[in-house]
Amino acid sequence: MTSAIATNRADIFRPLFAAATHDASAAMCRWTDGLITLTLDEVREIPLHSVTSELGFADDILTMVILGVESDPGTVLILTFDEDNARQLAATLTRRVRNTNPEWDELEISALTETGNILGCAYMNALTRLMGRTIIPSPPYFVRDYFASVIQQALAEQAAASDVALIGRTGFHREGEALNWHVLFVPSPEFRRMLENAIRVKPNDG
Amino acid sequence: MLNPTTAEATSVKGQAIHVGMGQIATGDRSTQFTSVLGSCVAVVLWHPRLSLGAIAHVVLPQSHGQNGQPGKFADTAIPTMLEQLASMGCPKPGLVAKIAGGANMFRVGGPLQIGEENVAAIREILKRAGIPITAEDVGGTYGRKITFTCSTGEMLIEVAGQKAKVI
Repeated sequence: MTSAIATNRADIFRPLFAAATHDASAAMCRWTDGLITLTLDEVREIPLHSVTSELGFADDILTMVILGVESDPGTVLILTFDEDNARQLAATLTRRVRNTNPEWDELEISALTETGNILGCAYMNALTRLMGRTIIPSPPYFVRDYFASVIQQALAEQAAASDVALIGRTGFHREGEALNWHVLFVPSPEFRRMLENAIRVKPNDG
Repeated sequence: MLNPTTAEATSVKGQAIHVGMGQIATGDRSTQFTSVLGSCVAVVLWHPRLSLGAIAHVVLPQSHGQNGQPGKFADTAIPTMLEQLASMGCPKPGLVAKIAGGANMFRVGGPLQIGEENVAAIREILKRAGIPITAEDVGGTYGRKITFTCSTGEMLIEVAGQKAKVI
């Protein structure tokens, strides 16, 4: 019951997140020669203590590319990949045979980091346009670690203000088939206020 | 594996309890606590003779008087853990602490180092409470999965790509 109420409250942000996802999808489609597209899966408020389990990640170790926002260190965009498809994407982008070594090499990391950069810039450029404020992403970096460890630092600012976390989740598709990749957008409380202001100014945008 | 359903403290016999952000749990010799940590810090208070323990998954150092989950802040988590242990018949004298976490997952410098601040706040509060820290594994730029066993007082620490260790 609580989750349903929280979902409804977060729905006001859906038009903005959907527009950002649309632009990110267009950029991703160009970057991958039409292979990959994105759709907005959900915008939710989730109790802090159950964020990882409700997002379906539990104690998983994931491959991630992380981007922050310059001047707003509490806002974070996290691109998560499952290992198999991330390896395949890196192989496709670098035009090489898929690496079977457990260690990620520099070229693979570079390919995924650049993917995060292109996607994150498109996402944040859309928010810049919709919010009327310049949002500059920080340089992306590659992490392979527990998802829970990464998301909890991303949520630190929200946690200072609330026991629930606002998260927008975007899914990926390859030729219509859903992939186990996601973009998670985690706004700081200040960023959330800016989103709310943008919605008030343009209630039907997106 | 049992997940506490709310942010309230949970006391469960004979179960592995997964402790999420801001939660507190208590247990006896049949209990294991598990948690995954980044910048957050797991504080475990344990009584070796009674094999009773409590854990908090601390997210931030100070509550600044805010209401909310007491386990979320170092300054409210530890007093709450002590109250809950006392209600189980576990006195403060004899308690020891183990802590883990407090990493900087985003590898950025500057003033906003929440992991370090969490560790510093917890050390200070435990020092004031007269509870010794007998082992710790904190800092770095990587996540940790911990499993604490109340019967032995051992904390297993797993890090991606590294060999697990016990503190």
